[in-house]
Amino acid sequence: MDNTSNTTPVEQVIQMSNAISHKSGLRYLAAIGVALLVVGPWIFDTYLLNILVKAFFMAMVAVTVDVLWGYAGYLTFGQSAFFGIGAYAAGLIFTHSGFSASNAIIAIGAAVVVSMIVAFVVGWLSFYRGASPFFATVISLVLPIVLVQLTLSGGSWTGSSSGLTGYETFDLTVEAWYRIAGAALGLVAIAAWFIVRSDGGRILSAIRDNESRCAYLGINTLTVKTILLVVTAGIASFAGFGYGAFSGVVAPELGGFVLGTELIIWVALGGRGTLWGPLIGAILINVVTAYLGSSMPFAWQLILGASFVLVIVLLPQGLVPVLLKPFGLGQYVHRIPHLAVRETAPVSDLEKTTPAILMEGVAKHYGYLKVLEGIDLKANRGELVGLIGPNGAGKTTLMRCMSDGLDRSAGNVSICGNDIQLLPPDRCVKFGLGRKFQNANIFESLTVAECLRIAGTTRVTPSLLKQDKHLTLPQYALDVVNTTGLSQKLGAVARDLSHGEQQALELAMVLAQEPRLVLLDEPTAGLTKTERTQIGNILSSLAHKYQLCCLLVEHDLDFVEEIATRIVVLHQGRIVMEGSFREVVNSELVKTIYSGASHAPMETV
Amino acid sequence: MILFLDIFTTVATLFVVTAGLMMIFGVMKIVNFAHGALLTIGGYTSYVVTQLKLDPWVSWPLALLSGAAIGMLVELSIVRPLYKRPLDAILATWGLSIVIGQLIVMTFGREVQFVDAPFSGTWPIFGVEYSAYRLMLLPAALAICLALTGLLNGTRFGVKTRAVIMNEDLARGIGINSGRIRFITFSLGTGLGSMAGALITPLSSVDPNMGLNWLVSAFMLVMVSGHSMASLLLTCLVFGTVQVLISTFLSPVLGGLAIAVLAALTLRIRPKGFGNG
Repeated sequence: MDNTSNTTPVEQVIQMSNAISHKSGLRYLAAIGVALLVVGPWIFDTYLLNILVKAFFMAMVAVTVDVLWGYAGYLTFGQSAFFGIGAYAAGLIFTHSGFSASNAIIAIGAAVVVSMIVAFVVGWLSFYRGASPFFATVISLVLPIVLVQLTLSGGSWTGSSSGLTGYETFDLTVEAWYRIAGAALGLVAIAAWFIVRSDGGRILSAIRDNESRCAYLGINTLTVKTILLVVTAGIASFAGFGYGAFSGVVAPELGGFVLGTELIIWVALGGRGTLWGPLIGAILINVVTAYLGSSMPFAWQLILGASFVLVIVLLPQGLVPVLLKPFGLGQYVHRIPHLAVRETAPVSDLEKTTPAILMEGVAKHYGYLKVLEGIDLKANRGELVGLIGPNGAGKTTLMRCMSDGLDRSAGNVSICGNDIQLLPPDRCVKFGLGRKFQNANIFESLTVAECLRIAGTTRVTPSLLKQDKHLTLPQYALDVVNTTGLSQKLGAVARDLSHGEQQALELAMVLAQEPRLVLLDEPTAGLTKTERTQIGNILSSLAHKYQLCCLLVEHDLDFVEEIATRIVVLHQGRIVMEGSFREVVNSELVKTIYSGASHAPMETV
Repeated sequence: MILFLDIFTTVATLFVVTAGLMMIFGVMKIVNFAHGALLTIGGYTSYVVTQLKLDPWVSWPLALLSGAAIGMLVELSIVRPLYKRPLDAILATWGLSIVIGQLIVMTFGREVQFVDAPFSGTWPIFGVEYSAYRLMLLPAALAICLALTGLLNGTRFGVKTRAVIMNEDLARGIGINSGRIRFITFSLGTGLGSMAGALITPLSSVDPNMGLNWLVSAFMLVMVSGHSMASLLLTCLVFGTVQVLISTFLSPVLGGLAIAVLAALTLRIRPKGFGNG
């Protein structure tokens, strides 16, 4: 299960560095950038211009690494491979077919298309149900190694280890290249900037924070990550093409594992998750490397390696943000949207008569251990079913079997008339499922408003360029936000909320997706008396006023008594009793189960 | 016949090179990306021993000790703060390997060097003459496997270590000093890495990048094999065999890629690797 309450230091730091993205300071930075682009050719000598052009192309790749790693949390050593593909597209086509305008266009097309296809395959290999982020990183390591070996074995066609040189390329001055490369870098950086800050782009950070919560909000995270990889691969390859066309030399190292790790170093030193940090870091390090590379090559690499280690251990937010903080790059202004009511989708007559959840013969085994057996359960719209049972009875497992097609060992589950088969959680969510976990399962580094907006992604597609001024929620989600006071804290970062507020936020997020069936795992655990009453009122209105079907696991029987329409008792993996609260509490069977003796009181938390 | 010997000695080499990485990953869930640099250190230890005209046998224990000593320093200063950030630990140890690599270049230069083997020549076996040193790697690999399995399964340290692997919080709760277990494991892993470097150098040569070539293969083998030394041996056997067969019958380039690519595919199809059966 997700453990959102434990934030590791690095996450906190990433979150901090996200917050250090600011307005006026950045405008100055951008202005300096444009100014350098214009006057550069007059103030820099040819040698420096040469270095800068190459650095600009490298920095474009560094920006893509930052989007993948700093924002989406995918640590990749493989972006160099796409850069290499782009460079070789230029080298191979210009060497073997000669240079012409049409060949240049073909080369660019080949660079981008081939990279995207390779990225798609890598995405398929890296992102699958149950894959850990660790494995994705492993796969990203294999890619450049395979690519370099293929290049080495290409004989004279690829130039083997010495690469290709001396091919004809664009007849441009270094000054022109400087402006082209600089402008391209600027465009890539600005596009990335708008996308990662847009409502849609925040999904990337949500995936980094808590991928499973995303899936339970109906977001297909595997597809999102694969698309992101394909797009960034295209950009990296384009940069590689520029590099190959400009330098007139391509070598296997351009696509290698070492360049892949260097990209990571530039991004880490520059400041992951800031975009401008890696951009500046990549350019500066490339320039310094070029100057010191001849006079003190080993010492410089030593310094770079040592500072990388230090930054990772002591200063995970990177150097550039720390250095620039005194210049006003520190205040983050969260835009706070206006709340508004969203009309919920109408319910058809058929939906009104179909059970919200129907389980037939569901079982779950771990080897010989039977956790659930022969579960038949049906619940309709407007019902609030309390699921009780001693610890280890299988309550949470039962909820898992309802929300992930791969979790049960036998039996059928349908949500609102849709058989869930072996489908992943994000598909179950689309059938109408909403699941609130036992621990507050939210996006720690995002604001309350951002969390709520991402929760509604399946209903309102967020823009990839803008931040919407309005945030619409269905009435019942709005009720949660208003009664618990979250409406006053829309700009607060979720991590800073109290335990009760986080629980309320998660409930509001689950409701924001307009579920038909709401699963709640101990929603009152650890809440104060007042909060408990608020949640109780909300839950009963969900079932009785808004006709949702709620399934509630709860130990607090007084709480259950007040709101539940029906009680289901689970014991040793079987449903042993169903009925009204009074019937259940007075039954000898239940007393025996809970205490082992008929007179002992029932368990409470 | 030669093919069989090639396969078995390749498997033995792979196992020797991978064992230290496995030790650290198995217990600490941390991938030590400085493993390649440690192999290099082991190689240069042999080189120093050769230069000083010492008995070549000295290089093995000396490499083990120097690797373990470096491991102790690294665990205390770099790895310990990163237990909760495993991806960052990969990066920090990679940075460390850059530092070690540059220090080696500054001390010994970039040239390729050669070392003395404890013994050389060929031995007749199954009717063919085969490199004695390569053959010797077979018992060496088995000895390492048995020693580590014995350590993990037959000693008090092993019981504590396994407790830490299974549930670190609980282990700490019942009074196991998990910090010390990690410290010892890490130093042992780096020591093994360095000793592996000394073991394999007589087969090739010493240069500052010698470890890097092994790193990725070792890394992939560990990912696939899961927790136990026995499963690591099995994984090395399977992938080593495939590597030799592909190198012999198709092309050495493809053979070089075999481990990385097959391991990636294996992980895609069986995300838990061979570890759980």
